[in-house]
Amino acid sequence: MFVLSFLLRRLLQGALIILLVTFIIFTLLRVVPGDPARLIVGGMAPDEVVAMKAKELGLDRPIPMQFVSYLGDIVTGDLGTSFVRPKSGASLGGASFDDATREERAKVLDLILGTLPMTLQLAAVALALALLVAVPLGTLGGLYPGRWPDKLALAIGSICVSTPNFWLGIVLTLLLSVKLKLLPAIGYRGFSYTILPAIVLAVEIVPFILRTLTVSVAQVMREDFIQLAPIRGLSRSRTILHHALGNSAIPLINLLGVQLGMLLGGVLVIEFIFDYPGLGLLTINAVLQRDFPLIQGIAIFISVMFVMINVLVDLIAMTIDPRLEY
Amino acid sequence: MTDPILAVSNLSVDLKREDRKRRIVDNVSFSLARGEVLGLVGEAGSGKSVLARALVRAIAPPLDIAGGKVVFEGRDILTLNPRGLASVRGNRIGFIGANPMGSLDPRLPIGNQIVEKLRCVQPGIGRTEAREKVLDLLGRVRIPSPSARFHEAPFQFSGGMMQRVMIVDALASDPSLVIADNITQPLDVTVAAQIIRLIDNLRQSLDTAFLFISSSLPVVAQIAERTLVMQRGRIVEEGRTADLATNPQQTYTQTLLSRIPPIWRDVTAPVATTGEPVLTVDNVLRTYLVRRRGSFNAYNEVKAVRDVSFTVKAGENFGIVGESGCGKSTLTRLLAWLEQPDGGRIAFLGKDLSHLSARSLTEMRKSFQLLLQDPYGSLPAGMPLRRMIEEPLLIHGIDRTEAARRAQEAMAEVGLDAELAERLPVGLSAGQRQRINIARALVLKPRLLILDETLSALDQVEQAELLDLFTRLQATHGFSYVFISHDLALVRRMCHRIAVMYLGRIVELADNTTLFEHPHHPYTRALLSAMPTLEDNRFPRPRYLLDGEPPSPIDLPLGCSFRSRCPRAERDCEKTDPPLLSLAGDNYAACLHRHMAPHEEEVANVE
Amino acid sequence: MADIVQEAAVPLPVAKRGVTPTRRMLQIASARTDFRIGFIGFGLLVMLAIFLPLVSSIDPTKIAYSSKLLPPFPAEGWKWPYLLGTDQLGRDVLLRCLVGLRYSLMIGITTVVLMFVVGCSLGLYAGLRGGWVDAVIMRLTDAQLSIPMIILAITILGVSRPTVPAIILVLGLSGWPLYARVARSVALGERNRGYVLGERVLGASDLRIMLLFVAPVVLPPIAFVAVLDIARMMIFEAILGFLGLGVQPPTPTFGNVIADARKYLLNAWWIATMPGLFMLVSLTCLNLMGSALERARNAVLRGEA
Repeated sequence: MFVLSFLLRRLLQGALIILLVTFIIFTLLRVVPGDPARLIVGGMAPDEVVAMKAKELGLDRPIPMQFVSYLGDIVTGDLGTSFVRPKSGASLGGASFDDATREERAKVLDLILGTLPMTLQLAAVALALALLVAVPLGTLGGLYPGRWPDKLALAIGSICVSTPNFWLGIVLTLLLSVKLKLLPAIGYRGFSYTILPAIVLAVEIVPFILRTLTVSVAQVMREDFIQLAPIRGLSRSRTILHHALGNSAIPLINLLGVQLGMLLGGVLVIEFIFDYPGLGLLTINAVLQRDFPLIQGIAIFISVMFVMINVLVDLIAMTIDPRLEY
Repeated sequence: MTDPILAVSNLSVDLKREDRKRRIVDNVSFSLARGEVLGLVGEAGSGKSVLARALVRAIAPPLDIAGGKVVFEGRDILTLNPRGLASVRGNRIGFIGANPMGSLDPRLPIGNQIVEKLRCVQPGIGRTEAREKVLDLLGRVRIPSPSARFHEAPFQFSGGMMQRVMIVDALASDPSLVIADNITQPLDVTVAAQIIRLIDNLRQSLDTAFLFISSSLPVVAQIAERTLVMQRGRIVEEGRTADLATNPQQTYTQTLLSRIPPIWRDVTAPVATTGEPVLTVDNVLRTYLVRRRGSFNAYNEVKAVRDVSFTVKAGENFGIVGESGCGKSTLTRLLAWLEQPDGGRIAFLGKDLSHLSARSLTEMRKSFQLLLQDPYGSLPAGMPLRRMIEEPLLIHGIDRTEAARRAQEAMAEVGLDAELAERLPVGLSAGQRQRINIARALVLKPRLLILDETLSALDQVEQAELLDLFTRLQATHGFSYVFISHDLALVRRMCHRIAVMYLGRIVELADNTTLFEHPHHPYTRALLSAMPTLEDNRFPRPRYLLDGEPPSPIDLPLGCSFRSRCPRAERDCEKTDPPLLSLAGDNYAACLHRHMAPHEEEVANVE
Repeated sequence: MADIVQEAAVPLPVAKRGVTPTRRMLQIASARTDFRIGFIGFGLLVMLAIFLPLVSSIDPTKIAYSSKLLPPFPAEGWKWPYLLGTDQLGRDVLLRCLVGLRYSLMIGITTVVLMFVVGCSLGLYAGLRGGWVDAVIMRLTDAQLSIPMIILAITILGVSRPTVPAIILVLGLSGWPLYARVARSVALGERNRGYVLGERVLGASDLRIMLLFVAPVVLPPIAFVAVLDIARMMIFEAILGFLGLGVQPPTPTFGNVIADARKYLLNAWWIATMPGLFMLVSLTCLNLMGSALERARNAVLRGEA
């Protein structure tokens, strides 16, 4: 009962957010220069063809009307059709206007769902790697503030956060893939192709976990109930494992929810460098090809994911800490 | 006397910071017999909390034990190996601190946490056995429905109930010594009195010794047979508590005693004055909506202030007292017009504040000023004193030279050194900070000052100085004061008339003498009986102290809202919620049975 | 437990005469080793970036085939003054890095200032006013936080022309929500503090309270942490450049230089690696300063110093 009402509240809020996102991105794409109709039919097409295409797509109607009909489509699960991508998959940037295959455009939702598993795999491996390194180090840093584990955590965090991801990708490819031939790097032909991009992504996530965890562990360790634990007769290991870690996990979980956007930003660039066929690569190509329906679709899809993951994060945080119920 | 269970000799603790070293506990020696309650009194900063922690060797840098012995049940705690220490701490010695709400993991059920602790210190105990023991103790400390509350987390308890939980936590392992460090300090007077009564009852049946630490001698005197007086890390006097209270040997103890304000003995209560009404409060209501837990769109009404009416006359000191949750802070916000009442009327100098235009309200604000409790949070940190005091004048559009002149005058009047003018407030004492606040109020030449716990963050000496200042300002400017406070002694000393609040309502409104000597409401009597004092309490606790805690303001009992705790509640109390009913003179009590003499009452529940 | 140390420390003579919390934070930070390392390192690099291109006889955009593909300093065949080597067109890598740092810093700092100003003013206002103003502003930040900043940025820059003001505007506008949130939550906390209530009772207007009292207390701690964001924005700028959406060649920036040099990775590794390393070093210095400031701030806000 309680969980239901919570879900209802949050999903309503989420719907509002998604509506706002749709509005922002829709308006943005309408006000920037660049005529989508000309883009579809190709630069060489005569003006009449362009005008006809615009009429066909409804692009000649006023923007508010376009928006309303677009919203109607979204509600039924239709994110529209890509301007440039054929159903077969390969991108056709500069096809000419009378190309016969042009009519067979891919559905935006299919494109997104087709690439999503790859990105999820990459994100999961990266997150696991990052947690593996950052949780022990961050916890130690919080337990011994000002001592060497803390300094180490600070140094590693500072270096990782200062590393440009695209550069690290290039350097690691050169070292591990080209010179040492340890891991494959470009494209995707099996799980091993995920590892190198995942390492680069993990380097980007680690500093955030380190920073949050050292601060929250150090803060929890100063709380009265932790300070009193030895006087009450609890051992130090028990205090840390049962009480300190549980309490410092909540800021970390919240962080993962809020920083999801940042995580996806990293995915974008990394997939581009490694030519990894995920959502990020799809996005970049969509932008470079001015594939407006696809850009719109991806942005909305991501904000839906963002909303759902944040609801999930709150539910998890609530089971860890009953105070957060409301 | 048999062998003492605790014998401390020449214990010293240092505070080490960089190159400096300071002695916090200085050569302390004392002993404690089995089952004895020993009091330890000292002001803030006297080192008593550090001493308490040193006894269980819970001393971490920058503090450092410099020497001495703590012999507990024949073994020196300071030289025990880790195993030995583990067998004593939390097991043979229990510890209760001053922060009950923060003493357990906020996420987990309290019952499980006490069981966890018990099984840590006594690995032989089974899970069920430990559970039953905890449940039994929760019942013995009079926590209602212990088996349900066993599964609740700390945030679901009130401060007083949580302190009872911590008592269970300390007693669960059947310790022979419990160190109680300032345990009543964060609690309201009646709750604190209940806790002390509880400990007194428990220790008689348990044969446990208590080291009872407090900054107040009257508090300690209620429970300890013997008391140590601590000053700057040293024990300056030791003796039977009764002897200390009547016949102190050391000057320091004498000073401590002289600072305890009298309540009944040799008091000249301020006598009610007559004057024009300055502030009129008529049937004021304030209700907050709070979303119901676990609901989508349902709200609870919290009736924070209900039907409050009173008048403050020119040159009068009006007191409002009550415990936390009684609505006095909401009332303060209403009086200062930071919030507007949902019903009723607040009129200042005859003008209803809700009918004023924004401009005349701003103009009117000059005439009533609020002084807050927290002297640290109430001043902007980055502003020089002079500028701070000019600020109210600048807001009201007075030019800078004039403002500077008046600020200078005000500083002199409240006793702030002129050379402080360009300084920032950092490093100023609490008393000096409150003087700045007074000066800020003063420059606007107000008629009424609302003092919201203004003095409670100050020590006794600073308090006395500021009270003198208030009296002096009243004499020169003819101010009226509203004192909002939980401190009955302060109100006794300063106020002409006093209102007692309970659950959002004024339950008694009377002149000083009547209220303190012949109160008509049972709640007023309970408050008075809970007051820690060295005098003979006119309202002895076994008869007047209340049991339990106020009901939730969301779910008020029908009829008289005090009914659920009232020792003299009768049938008619269930039907009528009495308004303030008039008594002789200008006195009122919200009680149907207000004329019943106190001695006819049933004796309150005794724990 | 902290309170007993404090209690014990009360009678100590207080040495901090009239120092504002902000000054105190700076004092603590500047006493830390990591801050000093970062400050000196970063200071040196900035000095170099400002002055070396002015005094150097070499033009970072001028093509000189005679000195093309020279390796960096310790490797065999390097030549003075090309410490970091030269690229495929014979341009000095070090100078190109320094010019890149100029742009990067300029864009990073302006962006953060923009984010800070927009975010903090909206956040403070929302926190102090409450009610529907607060609700509207907060839903806006939610919406914007749920679109990854980089998607927003590349979309706008991808479909319009990437100029320096456009880049600053896009990065700044997509980064403000975090500042708005932080400022709002602090303002909510301050709203019931004594000094704000005090001002209200005195009759001060909301705007006066916000600008004169709340902002000076609340903003410096946020500004301290903004140093970390300068580094973050510099990386974003580089990413945009790398994708071809940043400042356009021939102006060298970290992003476009590395993207360009990718082709020569196998025979001239340094052209791509050195600018990255250079960037890594300068950002690490900046981040060390930033996190030292952050820690000093935390210590002061906790009341430990």
